Amino acid sequence: MQKNPYIPMPVDLVKIVTEVTTKDIKTFRFSFVNKEDAENFKYLPGQFGELSIFGKGESPIGIASSPTQEGYIEFTVQKAGVVTSALHDLEEGARMGVRGPLGNSWPIDYLEGKNVVIVGGGFAFTTLRSMINYMIHEGNRSRFGNITVVYGAREPGLLIYKDELAAWEKRDDIDMYVTVDKGDEAWTGREGFVPTVCKEVGPSSENAVTIICGPPIMIRFTLPVFFELGFSKENIYTSLEMRMKCGIGKCGRCNVGEKYVCKDGPVFSLAELDKLTPEY
Amino acid sequence: MEKRLIKKDALSGIINKLSEQMLVYAPVKDEDNVLFKVLEKGMEPLADYSNTRNAPKNFFFPKTETMMRYMRTERGIELSGEGEGAPEMVLFGVRPCDARSFILLDKVFDQEKYKDPYYIDKREKTTIISLACVHPPYSTCFCTSVGGHPMSSEGADVVLTDLGDKYLAEFVTPKGEKLLEKMGDLSKADDAAEATKEELSKKSEEAITSHVAGREIKPWLDENFEHPFWDTIHQSCLACGTCTYLCPTCHCFDISDEVKGSDGKRIRTWDSCMYWLFTKETSGHNPRTSQKQRWRQRLMHKFKYFVDNFDAIACVGCGRCVMYCPVNIDIRKIVNDISKL
Ligand SMILES: Cc1cc2nc3c(=O)[nH]c(=O)nc-3n(C[C@H](O)[C@H](O)[C@H](O)COP(=O)(O)OP(=O)(O)OC[C@H]3O[C@@H](n4cnc5c(N)ncnc54)[C@H](O)[C@@H]3O)c2cc1C
Ligand code: SF4
Ligand code: SF4
Ligand code: FES
Repeated sequence: MQKNPYIPMPVDLVKIVTEVTTKDIKTFRFSFVNKEDAENFKYLPGQFGELSIFGKGESPIGIASSPTQEGYIEFTVQKAGVVTSALHDLEEGARMGVRGPLGNSWPIDYLEGKNVVIVGGGFAFTTLRSMINYMIHEGNRSRFGNITVVYGAREPGLLIYKDELAAWEKRDDIDMYVTVDKGDEAWTGREGFVPTVCKEVGPSSENAVTIICGPPIMIRFTLPVFFELGFSKENIYTSLEMRMKCGIGKCGRCNVGEKYVCKDGPVFSLAELDKLTPEY
Repeated sequence: MEKRLIKKDALSGIINKLSEQMLVYAPVKDEDNVLFKVLEKGMEPLADYSNTRNAPKNFFFPKTETMMRYMRTERGIELSGEGEGAPEMVLFGVRPCDARSFILLDKVFDQEKYKDPYYIDKREKTTIISLACVHPPYSTCFCTSVGGHPMSSEGADVVLTDLGDKYLAEFVTPKGEKLLEKMGDLSKADDAAEATKEELSKKSEEAITSHVAGREIKPWLDENFEHPFWDTIHQSCLACGTCTYLCPTCHCFDISDEVKGSDGKRIRTWDSCMYWLFTKETSGHNPRTSQKQRWRQRLMHKFKYFVDNFDAIACVGCGRCVMYCPVNIDIRKIVNDISKL
């Protein structure tokens, strides 16, 4: 029999980083207990996993680390309900489970040779961070053209991955535009909403693809900016969220039209979304 | 394909003999209901009943099923078992529509990339003997409109057809032929039996008087996710879920954890797209907030999405949802109304 896809692989929680001042978003680093699980867990940026806590349940969470970071996987999780709260209560050293990798990924093959514009808002930056780390890895950087990143949060304290943002800012092979809706006394960076900043940056749509993740309202106001810049719906990708259980297209919960977000998504181009029923 | 004849009065003995060698589920009378039960000594399997109220999908996809067990250890909570393996068994007396539903469920649970081991294990270890509907039992039967036939062998390993004084037994799959070895000496079927069956098959098809425009509405569904028609079907719906629980092809489920002391298990239970919680996210966002959206989902899933994905309608025309909906919502009427738009 094939390996049971419902059985979580045991992992150890090796590191916890509290990302935001409100303390409800943390990044969890796991290492696999079994060597063969670590080897079998081959993923690409954009995929997700089911984090499993026995006695509580499971939650689908985007993989925040990049496959180029070997020896561990990371997830950035907001404390929301039963499972995510239980996760937030865990301490380093705890053992739990992960299923995956699940779903499709950002369209890596398609992005190859193209300029890539990454737009993120709030903590929905997780699989975008995976994508950035993947692209700027020395073995991969030459496969992609210019990389432009616009990332925003409501206030400075809510920006996640601050150390990495700072490190990326220092590089000359990636253009970073980090912004907050409203700064504080200590903030010396950019102020302004993501759509506005995108407009100011005005990336060329020539041989370029945008991938965008964030709160629905940010996406709604940002898309017109990219249409105006000449990006076609084929060249804008996003990741959908639907309530999930099985993660493998069986439980019938996460469909948008004839597609199951868990199995056929979560990544879709706007052109693909146009063909689906507008129910998500 | 092996074909045999079984004398009418011998059938019950043969099935009972099988039940001495392996687990046999058969339709038996239970007060006013007919239910599939484990056949035990002295029980009489029914061969001329209409159909069971509950679809036999629960044999492969139980209402509640343990997926794994775990227990508290020093290290935390760890896996202690993966659910039980299924026994070899025979499912006797399944109606052709329900046998066909297994083929549709296979398309969901037995895919190339992701296989559902719980379903597949039981399915593989079960041999299905179906009873052709020589006389389709209900006025609500509409199998012929959705790709089925009252005497279809699809999904069955052995098909029994009532020829009057005897049964024609067709052993359609290797699994069925293996069962033949356990059924003792049976006389070979002659051409006359085959001819009678052909005749009965035509008659049974004609006896299905309920017709729906199954495939015909697909182009309309493709184009009309938004349409005033969707406001007209759900008003009286109680969102009770009866239609989905009784449906042989509905396969939605929930996964949850149950803990007692230091032991726990992860279980799956049937769920229903007719419930508002089904798609509700923790943030409060819910893509399907109204019963209108949920009814559209149910119909679209059966007559469009499943067709898009698997080139088959996810309804076998058993009529259960029509018979048992407490407010008489009739999926046949809905489909036919759509065909007239
Ligand atoms: C593809 C995908 C990627 C995601 N990535 C992230 C991420 O990187 N970080 C993050 O914090 N959150 C992410 N989410 C949302 C996250 O899954 C939910 O917040 C989480 O499941 C809530 O679980 P809970 O047990 O705490 O809540 P409860 O309300 O107690 O549990 C309800 C159960 O319903 C399901 N569920 C509820 N809401 C959602 C939802 N929005 N999406 C999917 N299933 C849900 C889960 O099975 C969950 O266990 C993602 C969701 C999807 C679909
Ligand atoms: S939709 Fe109704 S008629 Fe069709 S298979 Fe399901 S229960 Fe039977
Ligand atoms: S059985 Fe009838 S009332 Fe109940 S959910 Fe189905 S359509 Fe609605
Ligand atoms: S989560 Fe079960 S089908 Fe997508």
